[in-house]
Amino acid sequence: MLKQVKEIYEYREMIYTLVRKDLRGRYKGSVLGFMWTFINPLFQLLIYTLVFSVIMRSGEEQYYLFLFVCLIPWMFFSASVTDGSTAILREKEMIKKIYFPRGVLPIAAVTSGFVNMLLTFIVVIAVTLISGRGMNPVAYLCLPLVMIVEYLLCIGVAFIVSALTVYFRDLQYILGIITMGMQYASPVMYRVNDDRVPAKFAWIFKVNPMTSILNVYRDILYDKVVPNPAELGYAFCLGIIFIVFGFWLFNKLQKGFAENF
Amino acid sequence: MDNENAIEVKNVSKAFKVYFDKGTELKEKLLFWKRNRFENRVVLDNISFNVKKGEAIGLVGRNGCGKSTTLKLLTKIIYPNSGTVELKGRVSSLIELGAGFHPDMSGRENIYTNASIFGLNRKEIDARLDEIIEFSELGDYIDNPVRTYSSGMYMRLAFSVAINVDADILLIDEILAVGDANFQAKCFNKLREIKGNGTTIVIVSHSLAQIEQICDRSIWIKEGHIEEMGLPKDVHLDYLNYMNSERIDRKEREEFAKINRGNRYGSQKVMFSDVHLLDAEGKDVKTIRTGDGVTLDLKYECKEPIEDAVFGFGIFRSDGVWVYGTNTRIDRKPNFDIKKDGSYVVKIDELNLIPGEYWMDVTIEFGEGNPVDYYKKALKFEVVSNITDVGICRIPHEWTLNI
Repeated sequence: MLKQVKEIYEYREMIYTLVRKDLRGRYKGSVLGFMWTFINPLFQLLIYTLVFSVIMRSGEEQYYLFLFVCLIPWMFFSASVTDGSTAILREKEMIKKIYFPRGVLPIAAVTSGFVNMLLTFIVVIAVTLISGRGMNPVAYLCLPLVMIVEYLLCIGVAFIVSALTVYFRDLQYILGIITMGMQYASPVMYRVNDDRVPAKFAWIFKVNPMTSILNVYRDILYDKVVPNPAELGYAFCLGIIFIVFGFWLFNKLQKGFAENF
Repeated sequence: MDNENAIEVKNVSKAFKVYFDKGTELKEKLLFWKRNRFENRVVLDNISFNVKKGEAIGLVGRNGCGKSTTLKLLTKIIYPNSGTVELKGRVSSLIELGAGFHPDMSGRENIYTNASIFGLNRKEIDARLDEIIEFSELGDYIDNPVRTYSSGMYMRLAFSVAINVDADILLIDEILAVGDANFQAKCFNKLREIKGNGTTIVIVSHSLAQIEQICDRSIWIKEGHIEEMGLPKDVHLDYLNYMNSERIDRKEREEFAKINRGNRYGSQKVMFSDVHLLDAEGKDVKTIRTGDGVTLDLKYECKEPIEDAVFGFGIFRSDGVWVYGTNTRIDRKPNFDIKKDGSYVVKIDELNLIPGEYWMDVTIEFGEGNPVDYYKKALKFEVVSNITDVGICRIPHEWTLNI
């Protein structure tokens, strides 16, 4: 397995070019081009602000921010699952004809989503500061940590779903439904300990690997507290488990890729 | 793995599942799970070979014999069902040219994309960039988007990247058809240079002449096993011989009656019963290398005696050009009569014909050109060579240059 890791490292330039190609190609031909990366979340935020502070008032002060600091990391996760599931299928012509460590494809798919999230975070942080929410500098130091943990988890998940989808094509559509459901079994829209969440459903939140990560994001950005080390540590372990298991499974399954298209 | 070897293939077998009705969707899998019948088609059956460092080998064989599968196993695109494939060093493959090219990006940017798929990092690509651009002959076009390129320019760029990777092992599948004649010659020279630098090369090609010019060894794969391995020139002759005999046999069976009726005339008092072309070792051949020695071996049956008989033969090119003809009278052999069954041989020390397809007529006459058995197209054969001289026959010659 170490050999495979080393090989992927040797192909880092390929990951880089794939990510660049994806990011540059995304808004190709549009007038505003790359600006859409910022305009999109900005308007999304504007709509949430309107809806949740005028129509659907919530118990949380500044609910739009409460929602937004978790929604952006969640969207990165959900994009990693859906884009990741087709990462291998999309490049089947290349896989049939040329060798490269197949692992670079899901890694590149997740990385371009990650870069997109980082850019969106410029908007998130700017709005938190402007809206008068303020910041806790010590807590902010943990932000890169939780981002890396989420990145690892997403790569792990993408390894698993990209490899399985080759053998079982329906998975890409099933995953779309699963991630949609998972969003409501996560702390994106309400706190896990919210009164409205029945105690007998609490286990669903525990099963969701994103729960701890989202809690940490909210601690840092919304509640302005240094996240609980145990929660961050748990999330980190989960990330490691996913990436190790994912990579192991991926390497098992990748041998048959070229024959299953 | 032996230190001298760059590639070791040991007892490799590969079978593909050919589904009669394959379902990859959930619905199909659930509904038709009984219908998932398949047939195991064995493409490679227990093959083993080694390639030494710096050696160039060619894989030859008819379509579907498993040579491209072998190449795919070497590149690790697919994996064997049993056996092992080991390669040492960086592998570059000229199987798919221009992988990952993006039409909207410039030639220069695509060099980075394409080269990165071969596992080069930025520094390594930077170091090769000038050489790649120069080799591609694209000049100022290099900064234009690839979608504006002609297909020739596209292939030239793709080939330039692949060949400048500086791999330890280079795998090539039918690629030397890139660009115009000049560029092909340039690619070929580059390939020689690469080989000279100690790169191990494996080529799959139907152009045997190309393999002979580059490779030290040829492997003939027939129906999933290695039929023969050795010097390209020897292997190719056997391979062509096999291919021609298959083809000619088929044609002969179809045309047998026609040949006998339409291509044979004369009084038929004496008739050829057996016509063979033999090589130096006495084996029946249908393929000859320019300059090889052959023997024409003929048997005849005598139904009625004839006097003052004359044997002859003529060689024709497939387009009907009469290349050569002679008989026992022209060659001033003593006169003779035929009274019973017999045979004769004609030994040709050097058959200096230019590569192509030929046929041979054999004749028995009597007196002044009265046909007894005039057997047209009695034999068909092919001449091959790795020298590309032109005309009808190769005239022995020597150059002395005083420059």
